[in-house]
Amino acid sequence: MPDQPPQDGVTLTIDGRSVTVPKGTLVVEAAKLLSIEVPVFCYHHKLNPVGACRLCLVEISPGPPKPQTACTTPVAEGMTVRTNTAGAVAARADILEYELVNHPLDCPVCDKGGECPLQDYTFRHGYPTSRIDAPRLHFEKPVPLSDKIALDRERCVLCYRCTRYYDEIAWEQELTTDQRGVSSFITNQFDRPLQSIFSGNIIDLCPVGALTSRVWRFESRPWDMDHTASVCSKCAVGCNVTMWQRRHQLVRVTSHENDAVDDGWICDRGRFDYTEVNSPDRLRAPRVKGAHATWNDALDALLDGVRGKKLGISVRQDLTNEEALLLKRLVDGPWAGARVVMPRRTRIPAAEGETLHIVELERARCIVVIASDTADDVPVVNLRIKKAVSKHGARLILVHPDDLDLDRWPHGVHHVRPGAGGYAEALRDLRDHEYLKEGPVAVLYGDAQGSEDGGAIAAAAAGLAQAVGGKLMPLYRATNERGALALSLLGEETDLEGCEAVLIIGPGAPPASARFTAVWDFLLRPEHGEPDVLLPSPTFAEQQGSYTNLEGRVQFLRPPLHVEPPLRESWDVLLDIGQRLDAGLDFLGIVQIQKAAAQAAPALAALAGPPAPAAAPTAVLYGPARP
Amino acid sequence: MAELRGSHGKAKHHLLTQHFGTEGLATLKGYQKLGGYETLERALGMEPKALVDEVKASGLRGRGGAGFATGVKWSFMPPPDGGPRYVVVNADESEPGTSKDRYLMENSPHMVLEGILIAAFAVQSHQAWIYIRGEYDHPYQMLMTAIGELREAKILGDRPFGKDYALDIQVYRGHGAYICGEETALLESLEGKRAQPRSRPPYPAAKGAWARPTLLNNIETLATVPWIIKHGAAEYTKFGTEKNRGTRLLSVSGNIRKPGVYEIEIGVPFTHVIMELAGGPFEGRQIKAFWPGGSSAKVLPASRMDVTTDAEALAAADSMAGSGGCMVADDTACMVETTYRLLKFYAYESCGKCTPCRVGGNWAVRTVAKILAGEGSRLDLQILDKIQAGLQDGRCLCGLGDSAGWVVQSAMNHFPEEFEEHAVRHTCSVKRERAAASA
Amino acid sequence: MPALDIAQEEAGYLTPESMTEVAHALNLDPGYVEGVATFYSLFHLEPVGEHRLYICTNLACMLRGAYDILAHANRAIGVAETGEVSEDGLFSTEEVECLGACEYAPMMRLDHAYHYDLTPEKIDALVAERRNRKGARRHG
Repeated sequence: MPDQPPQDGVTLTIDGRSVTVPKGTLVVEAAKLLSIEVPVFCYHHKLNPVGACRLCLVEISPGPPKPQTACTTPVAEGMTVRTNTAGAVAARADILEYELVNHPLDCPVCDKGGECPLQDYTFRHGYPTSRIDAPRLHFEKPVPLSDKIALDRERCVLCYRCTRYYDEIAWEQELTTDQRGVSSFITNQFDRPLQSIFSGNIIDLCPVGALTSRVWRFESRPWDMDHTASVCSKCAVGCNVTMWQRRHQLVRVTSHENDAVDDGWICDRGRFDYTEVNSPDRLRAPRVKGAHATWNDALDALLDGVRGKKLGISVRQDLTNEEALLLKRLVDGPWAGARVVMPRRTRIPAAEGETLHIVELERARCIVVIASDTADDVPVVNLRIKKAVSKHGARLILVHPDDLDLDRWPHGVHHVRPGAGGYAEALRDLRDHEYLKEGPVAVLYGDAQGSEDGGAIAAAAAGLAQAVGGKLMPLYRATNERGALALSLLGEETDLEGCEAVLIIGPGAPPASARFTAVWDFLLRPEHGEPDVLLPSPTFAEQQGSYTNLEGRVQFLRPPLHVEPPLRESWDVLLDIGQRLDAGLDFLGIVQIQKAAAQAAPALAALAGPPAPAAAPTAVLYGPARP
Repeated sequence: MAELRGSHGKAKHHLLTQHFGTEGLATLKGYQKLGGYETLERALGMEPKALVDEVKASGLRGRGGAGFATGVKWSFMPPPDGGPRYVVVNADESEPGTSKDRYLMENSPHMVLEGILIAAFAVQSHQAWIYIRGEYDHPYQMLMTAIGELREAKILGDRPFGKDYALDIQVYRGHGAYICGEETALLESLEGKRAQPRSRPPYPAAKGAWARPTLLNNIETLATVPWIIKHGAAEYTKFGTEKNRGTRLLSVSGNIRKPGVYEIEIGVPFTHVIMELAGGPFEGRQIKAFWPGGSSAKVLPASRMDVTTDAEALAAADSMAGSGGCMVADDTACMVETTYRLLKFYAYESCGKCTPCRVGGNWAVRTVAKILAGEGSRLDLQILDKIQAGLQDGRCLCGLGDSAGWVVQSAMNHFPEEFEEHAVRHTCSVKRERAAASA
Repeated sequence: MPALDIAQEEAGYLTPESMTEVAHALNLDPGYVEGVATFYSLFHLEPVGEHRLYICTNLACMLRGAYDILAHANRAIGVAETGEVSEDGLFSTEEVECLGACEYAPMMRLDHAYHYDLTPEKIDALVAERRNRKGARRHG
């Protein structure tokens, strides 16, 4: 909101300072623009305001002569807000005292300690002394909500952010409140573990130490960690994440809000699937026939092994744009004729030109999702579809043979199950549906998990989009599928069967036909078998480079961990191979590779420029003096 | 049915209760014999706006507790947009000391229903809901029987009295939660959810039941409407005080000889209500305190029985007219114990949504329990005073927290010596006297 | 909530199974139903007596001896604590908030009916009547 020029500007005064904000802005948000901290627990900018915790009490005139909640009050022209009157200051201090009446004050062993709003607000807005001598109420704790999340009911301040998130954003009911009054507590239904793939976001939302990650629990103190804002490597959505490292270990992944991509949410794969980075079994040095080797010997062995044989290359789904460019040069040159496959990719053809941006989903009046289980394929786009439907009133059409997560919308989903005529026929029949009468229409399409011809589905989706004036969004599945396609790296084939020599980059099994196998990964996996050459690779938390997400957005990685020798950057190893093969890969560093990639594919033009600067750290807000 | 305890029979100010006790009043036939539903028939021939204006002119104020001007509330309903709009009737009578809605529903269900239907037509709604507390088995049965009679007689249906205006009433039973008396919590409950109040705005007139325009009124409020429409606002304004028109029902209970539900002209003093209508204290006892408008109204000492029953006088005495539940305690009552009991109620009934009410109510209970157990100190009195202040004046999402605060504040204010005695000297003179008397 | 009423009629209280059943019937999540059920005091989540004495102890009744009535009722049905179920499973007591019949204090709700002006004798009679009925059913 701050960077948009207010069209319907409303000017108000907060603590004597004037600010102009768009109509409909809440007082609490207007105060942020002036760096005035109005503390909140229940309020969260992505959730509907409820006015439950009462911590944001301020005095507002004109209005009743008692404090009002800044989180539920929209601004009005000429409004005067005072956060620092004796009444408002006392009200907030009293609320904070109430929050601490039954709080266990176990901050020394609490994972939230150090980044805890309850601590910070009490420090800045609370009473300097404690008058509480009543025995505290106790709850059973910690309660495992799933194998990933623990709930400490004594620390809970019942802000209901978690249950509201489940209800409003994730459309789930498996997290609810039981009982009432002071006995109220948050619970998963009948203690059944949470199933949602979006469960981890409640950890980020929790303003106290009630919801903690069991993966990270008791791992490190917040102030012991460094963090960088990077990009998730688990699927093609490209959610922005904060990666936290401590002593060269990746210890935590949290959301790094980017409204253009993820709207502040990440899925549980992105949040919890990182522990392999710290595995003691990580490969650090090359091996040839099982024996440790130098990079020099290993690369020689690799090149000897593949020479003269029909070569197949399997690449990781999160192959960077830079690696893709270098591999493309190799298969266009010395390794001409090699087959390149990417496990987990869709059968969707390369996108031509601009496609629908994720953020545009919120403006759509109708969203058609074709041949994709978005909850599994592109989880955070699935959440954005939910937002478009439940908060912006978009109509929803699903074209898929199965019941889907999105069918949960109780107010009318049009679900078409393709018949014998397949998607093409189903989409032709759909054109006159009433939901499509009002635009803009967003047409999202997947590949039906390869059950039908991907090109045919794409063509049918394009036909529908053209007929109703809609905009297309291909739902690629593999992390950098769109980038690899833009560089024409990937062929039609889906496996390496028939290849005599294979280079497996990342997970994947060599085909039965392989007489020579090289594996390049950060772990030796059971499916790899016993490779002739084994090269260690950095992980998503170490490697430099960039991904192109499903909407075509190029995003740079900011790895929190260094590549420690003998480990080498993958692009560096590929350059080495290129030089050994005289392939003309004479780049002097990753920046030159990126410039070349930008020239090779217009879709990657953004690589020519410098990475967007990292988001500025959250401003430190100062509240009025404590009572 | 139990013996009638309260107003009935002819008296100038018995606008609602005059016929109570009449054989067959609860039946459609009996009610119609006394002119019942003639007013509805006439109302259906009037302009809805004229009805709203008439109620506005009568000065009728809500009898549920807040005392908001009924006609004004009706006029807040937005113009019809073709979609559904509701009248929701609050029959969740749960305010301690209040039984007048039950008295009305049990004695004259049709009067209640007639008022509801007039209101529905006045605000252009076709569907009324009665939210009745689950414990009211008998009033529920009576309403259901009466509604059945109305359906049979086609007074409920597509063409009541031949008028092309469909009317229907549904009854929804509560399941035990005082908070449902709060209008937005009631709506949540009606929608099948946990009854937690909504943050306002939006107000129910804009977005009420199922997010549609909704008028919420109390049973007694709507039961008064037929009389007003029948006799005219001018007649009604002859009763009561200038700012607080008409009559109302007070349920009088506690340590008095003749507890009952009495219809009084607003403005008579509590001495009349307690000492005359309710027969005054038992032999040898003295009135000590009274809660003039349900447990949420601040307690007043007996010396303030001269206060009149209108909202303005009660506000001036730092209490309120509330729901009309007048509870009377005599000198055998320990005011710390009564405070404890009421606080326990508010803590138990807190919905838990907002912090001060959820935590503060329970903290207050525990503090008073400590004082009652003889383990208190002067510090506990200070803490208690601080807790009650922290529950009031907009700190809470709805009025329940304020009420809990008032319970403590008023008791400590009017009976400081009793709190002092318990907290500091760890003794209770009331209990000592009680023990001495029984020995 | 009417669906939960029906479920409760069966066993006298709600079990996770019955709540789950209600949830599936209404296309809701069982957790949501549990949240609703635990909010309202008229839903029981623990076993209760066949006849439940909901005795009001709020102020109007308390001022007229409701706590003595409650203590007597517990003795009459043979339990030590309010909320316990009598050995024969026939009775349990519950201390409840104002039931809106203050002019008849002290009072209680029992078997979907209000009972007014309670005295120890009245409690004894109501309990005895139900015990005898049960006895008659057993022998008859």
